[in-house]
Amino acid sequence: MNTQNIRTLILILSIVFYLLIGAAVFDALESKSESSRQRALEQKLKELQKKYGFMEDDYGDIERVVLLSEPHRGGRQWKFAGSFYFATTVITTIGYGHAVPRTDAGKAFCMFYAVLGIPLTLVMFQSLGERINTFVRYLLRRTKQCLGLRKKEVSMGNMVLVGLFSCMSTLCIGAAAFSHFENWTFFNACYYCFITLTTIGFGDFVALKEGDALKNRPPYVAFCFMYILVGLTVIGAFLNLVVLRFLTVSSDGSDVRAEVGGEEQGSQPNDMQGERRTLDAAGPEAERRSEPSRLGAFISRVCCGLDEYRSNSHGLYDQTGGHNNPVFYSSISYRLDNVCCSSCTVSSQASPCVLAFCQGKNNPHIRRNSL
Amino acid sequence: MKRQNVRTLALIICTFTYLIVGAAIFDVLESLEETSQRQQLDLKKKELLHTFNLSTDEFDELEKVVLQLKSHKAGVQWEFAGSFYFAITVITTIGYGHAAPSTDGGKAFCMLYALLGIPLTLVMFQSVGERINTFVRLLLHRLKKCLGMRRTEVSMVNMVIIGCTSCMSTLCVGALAFSQFEGWSFFHAYYYCFITLTTIGFGDYVALQSEQALQNKPEYVAFSFIYILTGLAVIGAFLNLAVLRFMTMNAEDEKRDAEQRALLAHNGQAGGHINCSVDPVSPSSSPSGCGGGSAVGGSSGGAASRGLRNVYAEVLHFQSMCSCLWYKSREKLQYSIPMIIPRDLSTSDTYMEQGEAFSNPLHSNGCMCSLQHHSGISSVSTGLHSVNSYRRLKRRSSI
Repeated sequence: MNTQNIRTLILILSIVFYLLIGAAVFDALESKSESSRQRALEQKLKELQKKYGFMEDDYGDIERVVLLSEPHRGGRQWKFAGSFYFATTVITTIGYGHAVPRTDAGKAFCMFYAVLGIPLTLVMFQSLGERINTFVRYLLRRTKQCLGLRKKEVSMGNMVLVGLFSCMSTLCIGAAAFSHFENWTFFNACYYCFITLTTIGFGDFVALKEGDALKNRPPYVAFCFMYILVGLTVIGAFLNLVVLRFLTVSSDGSDVRAEVGGEEQGSQPNDMQGERRTLDAAGPEAERRSEPSRLGAFISRVCCGLDEYRSNSHGLYDQTGGHNNPVFYSSISYRLDNVCCSSCTVSSQASPCVLAFCQGKNNPHIRRNSL
Repeated sequence: MKRQNVRTLALIICTFTYLIVGAAIFDVLESLEETSQRQQLDLKKKELLHTFNLSTDEFDELEKVVLQLKSHKAGVQWEFAGSFYFAITVITTIGYGHAAPSTDGGKAFCMLYALLGIPLTLVMFQSVGERINTFVRLLLHRLKKCLGMRRTEVSMVNMVIIGCTSCMSTLCVGALAFSQFEGWSFFHAYYYCFITLTTIGFGDYVALQSEQALQNKPEYVAFSFIYILTGLAVIGAFLNLAVLRFMTMNAEDEKRDAEQRALLAHNGQAGGHINCSVDPVSPSSSPSGCGGGSAVGGSSGGAASRGLRNVYAEVLHFQSMCSCLWYKSREKLQYSIPMIIPRDLSTSDTYMEQGEAFSNPLHSNGCMCSLQHHSGISSVSTGLHSVNSYRRLKRRSSI
């Protein structure tokens, strides 16, 4: 079984395990409270029913009216401001459910709207997040230069710290603002911001629901929209920095490609420069070389740190297996470095661009951190 | 302006426009219905107040109790089955809200749980999706061979069509099942499956909430969980195929820019006439920049025209992408991603000026997708200029 299959199986098993653990903990935390609350509420309901003399059907009527009126309590939900809020919750996949389309046409349009809007939003947030990461990296380098530090390169650890700090401060700012405007406790407002910015969006806490805020407080409405979009950008930048590289770990391909891409392999020697042959040879060869150790390295990497690019800079010219990081080997970065290395060490007729690239070896390390 | 900045700005503007247009359309579709429903409910409420001789405060009190009881009506939500359901809605970010932690401990644990669970789930679904894509590609290739077709390569368009079909069929299978088990209409069940599998998760329709299903119907519960996870894997496979490459475009361009700067730096040292193609105040972090020590001709003066050329290049890129997909659907696009990185026209001029002997493999058809002999190309030129050898990186198309 090749590495990718093993990796995928491990991930599936860890998710199942994670779900089981989560279920057990939530059960322990919430069950008792739920049953006691349910008893108390039913008790109260019985009292009220006796007090007002309801029959079962009457209560059914009241219940229906109350449940249907619930979304209307926050004011008009489908005027332009409310619809904008709703559209935001659709394409960012937050999906509070505080207002849902009731007409069938609204539901159908919602689906089409989401089909185009969600990928657009995903790409937009990742694009903007990458720009932010690049800018932060530039600022940090300038700061390091100004402060006269010895090592002027911005490491992955620096970027992760800055990313974490900005996520935390985004959450805190939002929590402070919403606890003030919505009269929630700070903890509940924090919880609301977290659930919103991770796009879970339960809907138990929803901003702009009370007091007809959508109509009466336009500055607060604007603040809410901006906060959601900016906060999602900050989280997106952090995901772009830390998680995206794991999403793009590509297929090993040496088995499948041999069958499916046979022509491609065969055509490689026809190519112009020797570097590419070295590149292709080094790629699958290196990948086949150290599977079990790579797997261990992968697991430890997933669990522990993301300092691979710092270690990369040492492993750059060590083509022969000093680096046993499977993500690295199958990443674009590795192949780029590999060509560079091979041409630096091997070929005297390497094109000058490649030599220049080798000489400018600092560049790839700094640059590639945001992928 | 650099291409990445142009692209990002364009995406931001597109998204805002999309939001505004969507808001206007939702307004038109739903406002009337909302108003009429509201009026009806107000009337009904007045009737009830009158019939039972309730004051408004008393009714509010009753309302509060009823609303709080709502989630309890659907059954016990926090036994193991319900908690598992909740945990799924957290880490997949569906987040129906049919049950939400009420204790502070539950909320805190929920946040920590999501912090680790969401990236893990993202990576898992993309990993599974990539495996699915590879397997489908293999199957299709075998099928084409069996059918004795002339071209047995699996093109991108094949994969996209299969991806779309599998998404639609997943939704339809779910719609059939849930309309049967939950008593919803087929359209509402389809809407439920769509909202669930795109992880929007409004919570207006939620499975396993009627007739105490969480406690009494374990097979249906198991089916629901498996359906949600499998459906997300299918959607994830399609996203992996079609969308993930776009999320890495900016980073690819940054890389390319730095390579070119390094190249120019070297050529500058060699004493050639260099047209620095990089915006001197760009926020990129490459230290060498254009100042390789040699004469940098016309670097500032050409900034505006370079910016325009960047925009033009980006437009050409989209144009050629569309035409590629239309005309070259039979080309082997398997391991090359034609829409990724067309070359900057300004730097191409640089190369032309320097007269470097680069190959120009793509002049044959003018379409960047004709990559029979150069399938390792990930950076695709607009057909006007050469591609550096070291940039023929083997990209996998399932990225």
